[in-house]
Amino acid sequence: MPFKLFEVSKPIPERKEHTYVKHCGDPEDCLPKCNSKTIPGSMTERGCAFAGAKGVITGAIKDVAHIVHSPVGCTAYGYGTKRYPTTTDMPDGSQFPIKDFNIKYIIGTDLQESDVVFGGMKKLRQAILDTNKEFPFVSAIYLYATCTTGLIGDDLDAVAKEMEEELGKPIIAFNAPGFAGPTQSKGHTIGNNVLFSKLVGTTEPPATTPYDINLIGEYNIDGDLWLLKDYFKEIGINVLSTFTGDCCHDEIGWMHRAKLSVVRCQRSSTYIAKMIEDKYGIPYMKTDFFSTKYCAENLKTVARFFGLEDKADELIAKKMAEVGPELEFYRKKLAGKKAFIFSGGPKSYHLSVPLQEELDMDVTGVSSMFEHEDGFEKMKSRLDEGKLVIDDPNALELEELIEDYDIDLIMGGVKEKYFVHKLGIPCLLIHSYENGPYIGFEGFVNLARDMYTAIYNPVWNMLEFEETEEPDVPNVEEEAK
Amino acid sequence: MSMNLIEKDRVATINPLKTCQPLGAMWAVTGISRAVPLVHGSQGCSAFVRYCLSRHFREPSEIAVTSLHEDAAVFGGRKNLVEGIQNVAIRLKPDFIGVITTCSSEIIGDDVIGFIKTAKGELKEKIGEEAVEKIKIIPISTPSFVETHLKGYDNTIKALADYVAEPSQPNEKINIIPGMVNPGDIREIKHMLRLMDIESIVLADISDPFDAPLRPSTTEYKPYYPKGGTTVDEIVDSANSVGTISLTKYAGSGALSLEKKYNVPAELGPIPIGVRNTDQFLRNLKKLTGQDIPDSILDERGLLIDSMADVASRYLFDKTVAIYGDPEITSGIARFVGELGMEPKLVLTGSKSQEFVKDIEKVAKETGAEIDTMIDQDLRSMEVYLKDNPVDLMIGGSDARLMAKENDIPLVRVGYPVYDRVGYHRRPIVGYNGGIQLMDLITNTVLEKYYEPEHWKLQQ
Repeated sequence: MPFKLFEVSKPIPERKEHTYVKHCGDPEDCLPKCNSKTIPGSMTERGCAFAGAKGVITGAIKDVAHIVHSPVGCTAYGYGTKRYPTTTDMPDGSQFPIKDFNIKYIIGTDLQESDVVFGGMKKLRQAILDTNKEFPFVSAIYLYATCTTGLIGDDLDAVAKEMEEELGKPIIAFNAPGFAGPTQSKGHTIGNNVLFSKLVGTTEPPATTPYDINLIGEYNIDGDLWLLKDYFKEIGINVLSTFTGDCCHDEIGWMHRAKLSVVRCQRSSTYIAKMIEDKYGIPYMKTDFFSTKYCAENLKTVARFFGLEDKADELIAKKMAEVGPELEFYRKKLAGKKAFIFSGGPKSYHLSVPLQEELDMDVTGVSSMFEHEDGFEKMKSRLDEGKLVIDDPNALELEELIEDYDIDLIMGGVKEKYFVHKLGIPCLLIHSYENGPYIGFEGFVNLARDMYTAIYNPVWNMLEFEETEEPDVPNVEEEAK
Repeated sequence: MSMNLIEKDRVATINPLKTCQPLGAMWAVTGISRAVPLVHGSQGCSAFVRYCLSRHFREPSEIAVTSLHEDAAVFGGRKNLVEGIQNVAIRLKPDFIGVITTCSSEIIGDDVIGFIKTAKGELKEKIGEEAVEKIKIIPISTPSFVETHLKGYDNTIKALADYVAEPSQPNEKINIIPGMVNPGDIREIKHMLRLMDIESIVLADISDPFDAPLRPSTTEYKPYYPKGGTTVDEIVDSANSVGTISLTKYAGSGALSLEKKYNVPAELGPIPIGVRNTDQFLRNLKKLTGQDIPDSILDERGLLIDSMADVASRYLFDKTVAIYGDPEITSGIARFVGELGMEPKLVLTGSKSQEFVKDIEKVAKETGAEIDTMIDQDLRSMEVYLKDNPVDLMIGGSDARLMAKENDIPLVRVGYPVYDRVGYHRRPIVGYNGGIQLMDLITNTVLEKYYEPEHWKLQQ
């Protein structure tokens, strides 16, 4: 039986189709049902389309003012929630005046009852003027529709067009109201489409080289991008544009000038890579840079495209010598530990093989709250027989999972972390990381160290009071040898 | 010697100092034992709030959602809510479901009361009448485009008074509506009530649910419910109490409702932050219960006064402070820093409350300070203000951490949200003990910033 119905989900039997148990004899298209609506009344991990558009795609851009056209909630929740740090460096060598501007400010229209009744477009226009006055140095202003503006029918595109003419500055509307689509993934699609159709092909880079790439789907969570950029630089590859970690508005406009698109997060952004290939003939490749092996393989693949394989080999050898011994220590510590990757989207397929092959861990299963069929195919192909692949899991199922599968570590987000702790096992932040970056060689060591410190945290040996004489305390120094 | 109201000079809200009603409702429902907040809206409405509450308390925040999508936007959310209530009732077996509305469900005009009836009817066929009657399913109207999170909290407590409380035999207890304060604050209030030998019903008590022990062998699994919270029976019984004290005058509708419907006398505010506010709280308690104020509490008061005498005039006198956040905490702290000899230079809140203005006027009179006041404002207003009017200290939540750093003004973290430090949800700021804790924090922050460079001043 390839599908599993959790005991706790028996009252909603339709959940059965969403949990697939890998069975090697199954046809390839045997996958969990996905990208469909959440069953109402679930404690789902899913977010909304607005979260997908602003939270994931555009929120990492450093020189843009974001205006959320909403009652105050959506604006407040869009503030400082993502770990997307940015520098002040601009591609033309100039400096943007405020560091981490994208983290520091969020702007909203704070819609009131009267706006809901009479429409909020006037308020939005004024908010754009105010924003331009407060932050005259921004390169562009982005507007976001939300449930409220979607329902009252405010025309964001019209306001954007009108105000763009008035201010002479790009103003772009993202119509991804919260209720659009079953998951935040809908917001990714809309974000990609808008940025492609409005921006790509509209600007020219200050300079080009024969070795230019677009690094797509890399949002610089906890500094991931900066590591990758260093690697590419050392190999001789120039990151012409990133989409959208630590990038600027104009950078997206010249994505059509790259020689190759390298796609990192394959769920949030393969869309734009495809569109660039279709329109401008620029090929793209899907990549994994988590772990040493994937990172080495994929750096080589990208380098080979430019005939720079030797440089890649040099870098890989150097990095492996640096991280090898420490990683070996963690491998011994983590071998056999059971992990469940309870992640948002693609980390579930990026991480399962590295955890299994490079750290000898046992990946009990993976899940995703917003993945589509192609992603689940990959997850399935990267797991062993009998392992779980779950779409849109909910809190109750997570409890059963932990109890039934004797899991040592959950890799999840803030919403799960403290809940999992209450059940007596560690949970590691994998959406936004504990002490990242987690990408690449050094990053994989960081990840391994964080997993090690989570699992071996002395607290897990002290969960219960013991009535009898003092039990043997594990000797950490002995174990470390 | 006066309060100067500074008006907002733009329409755009930049870094809001408030959030929407549903958050306050989810906060309050979490304070009820074996309760599930069920948000009738898009998934973002629960996901964002769960994220924000979890990172503030470092605790689980289990909230269900009816997952409204395009079809609901067109045809209404009836199906989602009816199905959602049933799934929550059957799978999670709660004692209480708070149905919390959002922008979307309010705009599409869903008849939540009617839908709850329908859901109950269908549920009876599935799990039997008795089982359904055991679950309180209460509508909580929280349109996000009206007022702030505090109003959502207020509406929830009012819904408890209106839909759950039932009169029977007098119980000699006092009802406490804590407002949106931390677990440590509620525990401090309960500590004072114990010293006064007063039994209480806290509406609603988040102190254990948002600060729960990690004891796997005693944790109730499948579904996980944290220990504690106010039981439904206690809420029912709140109609029989000798009085209600709402620690917040800005969210006292529940207290007024109990007074009007069941003759339970209400006292609204002040939040017992600082000496005089705590004194007033105790007088209110005495008035409603007839209990004397014991020496043990007066000793605690004496400890606070002693600590203030030791440091206030030496280190804190005339230091200027900017205070921001929810209205009652902000006005409470403004009064307390005045008692400490400091000068509240700027107070601001995202709420549009005339009551707040009156409170600050009172503080201005007491302290003799010139207080610049902003209501219905955002953190950007404070940032711009501070450029021309620097202060010695800022007191408020984490959202102003970057502007504090850039302006080199030390920030004492209080209120909600605090996510860049740990333990602040455990540490009380109310009562005499909370006063000592807060004063120590303020003083040590001042010492570190203003005295460390001349460290010899700290040698005795």
